[in-house]
Amino acid sequence: MQPTQNVLIPEVIQQIPLTYYIIISTALFVIGIIGVLTRRNAIIIFMSIELMLNAVNLLLIAFSSYRSDSSGQVFVFFIMAVAAAEVSVGLAIIVMIYRNTRSIDVGLLNKLKW
Amino acid sequence: MQTDLLCALIPLFPLIGFIINGFGFRRIPKSLAGAIATVAVLASFLTSCFLFGAFLGNANLTSTAGPLKAVLFDWISVGDLDISFSFQIDQLSLLMLLVVTGVGSLIHLYSIGYMKHDEGFGKFMAFLNLFVFFMLLLVMGSNYVIMFIGWEGVGLCSYLLIGFWNTNTNYNNAARKAFVMNRIGDLGFLLGIFWIINLFGTTEYTDVFKQATSLAIGDPEILAITLLLFVGAMGKSAQIPLYTWLPDAMAGPTPVSALIHAATMVTAGIYMVVRSNVLYTLSPLTLEIIGGIAIATALLAASIGLLQNDIKKVLAYSTVSQLGYMFLGLSVTAYTAGMFHVITHAFFKALLFLGAGSVIHAMSDEQDIRNMGGLRKSLPVTFITFLIGTIAISGLPPFAGFFSKDEILAHVFEHNKVLWALGVLGSALTSFYMFRLLFLTFFGEFRGTEEQRHHLHESPATMTAPLVFLAILSAAGGVLNLPGGGWLSDFMAPLFEGSRQVNPEAFAESTIDHSTEYILMAVSAGVALISGIIAYVMYVSRGAVPAPETTERSMPEQVVYNKYYVDEFYEAIIVRPIRGLGDALYSFGEFIIDGVVNGVAWLVRAGSNQLRLLQNGSIGFYVFAMVLSIVAIIALRFFVRF
Amino acid sequence: MFPIVLLSVFGILLLFLGFLKSRAILLPAALLFLLVSLAVNFIDWNKTYLYFNGMLLSDNLSMVFTAIVLGSAFMVVALSGSFMEDESAQPAEYYGILLFSLVGALMMIGFENLIMLFVGVEILSVAMYVLTGSDKRNLRSNEAALKYFLMGAFTTGIMLFGMALLYGATGSFTLGGIRAYAVNPQVGLSLLFYVGLLMLLIGLLFKVSAAPFHFWTPDVYDGAPTLFTAFMSTVVKTAGFAALFRLLSISFSGVYTFWWTILAIITTLTLVAGNITAVYQNSFKRMMAYSSISHAGYLLIGLAALGQQTKQAIVFYSLAYSVATIAAFGVLLLVARQRNAETITSGGSSSESFDAFNGLARQNPLLGFAMAVSMLSLAGIPLTAGFWGKFYMFSTAVERGQIWLLVVAVLMSAVGIYYYFRVIIAMYFREGATAPIRVAPFYRYVLVVATLLTIGLGIAPGLLEGLF
Repeated sequence: MQPTQNVLIPEVIQQIPLTYYIIISTALFVIGIIGVLTRRNAIIIFMSIELMLNAVNLLLIAFSSYRSDSSGQVFVFFIMAVAAAEVSVGLAIIVMIYRNTRSIDVGLLNKLKW
Repeated sequence: MQTDLLCALIPLFPLIGFIINGFGFRRIPKSLAGAIATVAVLASFLTSCFLFGAFLGNANLTSTAGPLKAVLFDWISVGDLDISFSFQIDQLSLLMLLVVTGVGSLIHLYSIGYMKHDEGFGKFMAFLNLFVFFMLLLVMGSNYVIMFIGWEGVGLCSYLLIGFWNTNTNYNNAARKAFVMNRIGDLGFLLGIFWIINLFGTTEYTDVFKQATSLAIGDPEILAITLLLFVGAMGKSAQIPLYTWLPDAMAGPTPVSALIHAATMVTAGIYMVVRSNVLYTLSPLTLEIIGGIAIATALLAASIGLLQNDIKKVLAYSTVSQLGYMFLGLSVTAYTAGMFHVITHAFFKALLFLGAGSVIHAMSDEQDIRNMGGLRKSLPVTFITFLIGTIAISGLPPFAGFFSKDEILAHVFEHNKVLWALGVLGSALTSFYMFRLLFLTFFGEFRGTEEQRHHLHESPATMTAPLVFLAILSAAGGVLNLPGGGWLSDFMAPLFEGSRQVNPEAFAESTIDHSTEYILMAVSAGVALISGIIAYVMYVSRGAVPAPETTERSMPEQVVYNKYYVDEFYEAIIVRPIRGLGDALYSFGEFIIDGVVNGVAWLVRAGSNQLRLLQNGSIGFYVFAMVLSIVAIIALRFFVRF
Repeated sequence: MFPIVLLSVFGILLLFLGFLKSRAILLPAALLFLLVSLAVNFIDWNKTYLYFNGMLLSDNLSMVFTAIVLGSAFMVVALSGSFMEDESAQPAEYYGILLFSLVGALMMIGFENLIMLFVGVEILSVAMYVLTGSDKRNLRSNEAALKYFLMGAFTTGIMLFGMALLYGATGSFTLGGIRAYAVNPQVGLSLLFYVGLLMLLIGLLFKVSAAPFHFWTPDVYDGAPTLFTAFMSTVVKTAGFAALFRLLSISFSGVYTFWWTILAIITTLTLVAGNITAVYQNSFKRMMAYSSISHAGYLLIGLAALGQQTKQAIVFYSLAYSVATIAAFGVLLLVARQRNAETITSGGSSSESFDAFNGLARQNPLLGFAMAVSMLSLAGIPLTAGFWGKFYMFSTAVERGQIWLLVVAVLMSAVGIYYYFRVIIAMYFREGATAPIRVAPFYRYVLVVATLLTIGLGIAPGLLEGLF
């Protein structure tokens, strides 16, 4: 992971090595995964997934800055926009379920099996 | 060009018949449906005859090995592999064509009478036509892929026809069993084809065999290919261990048993081996294995046949046993003899099944020979033709079975004396159970109910006419290949040029002189005759009838204790051991082999039942499984070296 | 790329058409829109263009995949007549969402840049979440939607993380850029690249329901309204495989040795899990879900044995599979509707179980025949399209010499016969009191066309060859 164009990277960014960014985003990502695994409340699972997406965003921005390449940041905008759309649909589904069952505990949803 | 058209016509006729009857079976009247189906097959037969005449007339073709190819269209191409939809007309496919369409038309004719009262008549005829169509594809195709399509197609039709009387669950199970066993064989066949593609880059017979002639004998890849192909033949031609479906297949209507499970479909395996004779000649080990399986099948099935009381079951086991003989012939590279037996067997076994059908028809669907007897007076035509069939299958001169079986045994004798002795033993058993069947059915007193006695009648002309035709063929079929270089061997000789080239020793001129040959003939005929006489003594002179399942078998002996002391001895020394052996082998066949097959099915179901529990409906578990798999994949990829 | 533009416009148009009083116009309009899109798809035939600043590629292969996807969508929409009878349904929205989701599918087919892949996957998936839950009062539909949504979003996270890592390693989101890095690394490939590759692959494998990422499939397919199940199991799968094929054949073909064993293991797992589990099912619909998993396995063979023939094999297989699946679901829709009507009066077995098909062929020969042909095709019996699909697939494995993969696949296809034939047995060999089912003329045409296509391709598979 050698930055290809060292000269163009501003001093401020170089003060923190790229590896740190990778580590923190991976940590955030794993926290998100653990959240999904351990929680039963649909909204909290959902928030954990958002955490995973934001970990990705952070990673992309870090790479983008270190490479002085804007496409990474463009991708982040796409992710944010799509994630917003996803949130609206996801919340709608959760609301629909809450209306029908008065609960958003995913552990109770196991009618479909085998 | 003209021949191309003719070739295309042969399978087209039954297909048209199937389409007409298959889509219109509700509207077409029964008489018309039967006529359409029969005419369709008859038209194929006449076309085949014409083609055969043209082939014989064309001296060029008969003298050289080059087959006639009719490419209908280029079919598929995958990468370098090109498969065309084409037919190959040579000696082998012509013979099979004549047998399939000839015997097929007789059986269609017979079905008109036999199935007249069945409500699914139109559908039945449509299925029969479809079967003939696929069978023709199987024997006419010029590459393994077309053969495989025919192969699967006949399996499907056989499945549909066995389960034709589908209201009965047992029949459905029989149909499913036949299909599953055939599929097991087909898998082997399919893998064999892929291996051929891998090795030769083509599936066209002519190209494959041309390339194969340059290989060395005992090439391991050829060994694998021939074994895989033979697995396919085991399924289709009912050899150990995949034979148990055939007796069960007797659940289908009798014409089906005659056409599919005796005369044509079950010989597909033989056809395939003869077709691939170059490959098999290249692999002596495969031939050894085939020989072992074949003789075991022949003896096992024959000994089971000794004790069966269902008229169709006896014939079914006899078919399995005769198929064993055919493979026995192939295993000593007596390909012509094997094909010869295929042809004669088609005649007499179709005859026997149709005769049995006639009996069943007359007896109002009674199939148990213990409830028959004395039928020769009421069913004279059936009796005489059945008698001819029995003599033919028992191998008594001068009927067809004698010549074909004798030729196989003569080749076996040359190759391996022990196999020959076992073969003669099987021949004796065959003769015994066939005559037992004949005597119990047609001789003695009538043992059925009063109602059945009133109903007894000779079958209509549409049923007896095919019987007479087949009887003539069974009686005279032997002239096709008389001992000492008959017409058939000359005719088929060009087919085996390739084999002769790769392994000249296997095709060396017969080393046994004429006197030995005559002795061999006399031995096998004599053994068959003696078994027939024993059967006569047991079932006609003494009038013995197999005891019904409910009574103790030793009861009749109590009565005749003093008079028949000899019989007791005979019972203890000969009958008991044979019966015990038969029972033991029967249980081996039916329970062990079925058990293995059913066991696999059970295992799959049980596995399914366990596996589906993984799908426990909880999102948490699903996500957990995913995460675990991701970790596993990454760990596998980076920490395990492979 | 005209279909993408047109479909977006048409989707909006359809939503506006929903304001009209008469619902009758919606179905013909949707079909017309799909036909127009299908027609304009071929404008660029035999030409290769890059569109939208090099974001999307249009070549013959992508057009063939587009045609399969649009054709499948056309047939599914043609089977949707029942919306018109259902008061609570909102057909304008359904059709609109279907058209929008096709835009996503087309982006997955032609993507040249990972951004497009991501956006395409999301458009398709979000649309599917909505459609899965469209039966709002039905708890099963609700549950399926939530499961699909949560797991889908989770996998999106995984896939995005993979893309980010790939970007970090290669500095590019374009297929060409990644390929250039993978083929010619300056200092050896970095760990980021490999992990990124695996995570991206896993994300896509989830979408095509490959084991062990298949758990959502049976539940979602089972719970979703049958029509959308048909859509998901054909369109989504085809688009997913088109995307996987593009990614693997263009960007990652240089590191084939790295990923093929993983893919081969996944293929084996998928074949086993799909086929074996399907055996025990009592619901036809659920069986079809497992069957779709197993077909994903067969399609994966072509990727694990990536070679010259893979392209042709995947195209043929997805076409054969889509046609047969749609016909099967089409018959199921009618039968289930009939049974539901009966159960209200008499009470009986579940409307989607195998028993629902008992004696179907007697009273409804057309339905029985269409179903039988599609089952034979899915089982891979010769003279149906499915046989050649399997044949081509297995040939790719032979070409690569992966005989053990071939053996597993052949054995599993034998298991497949068992459950596909259960339907045929039920229809032809069992007794069942089925009244003749009324089939609308248009519906009938779709079934007839699907059946003829299956048989036609089975007899002359060479017909498609001109398309490459």
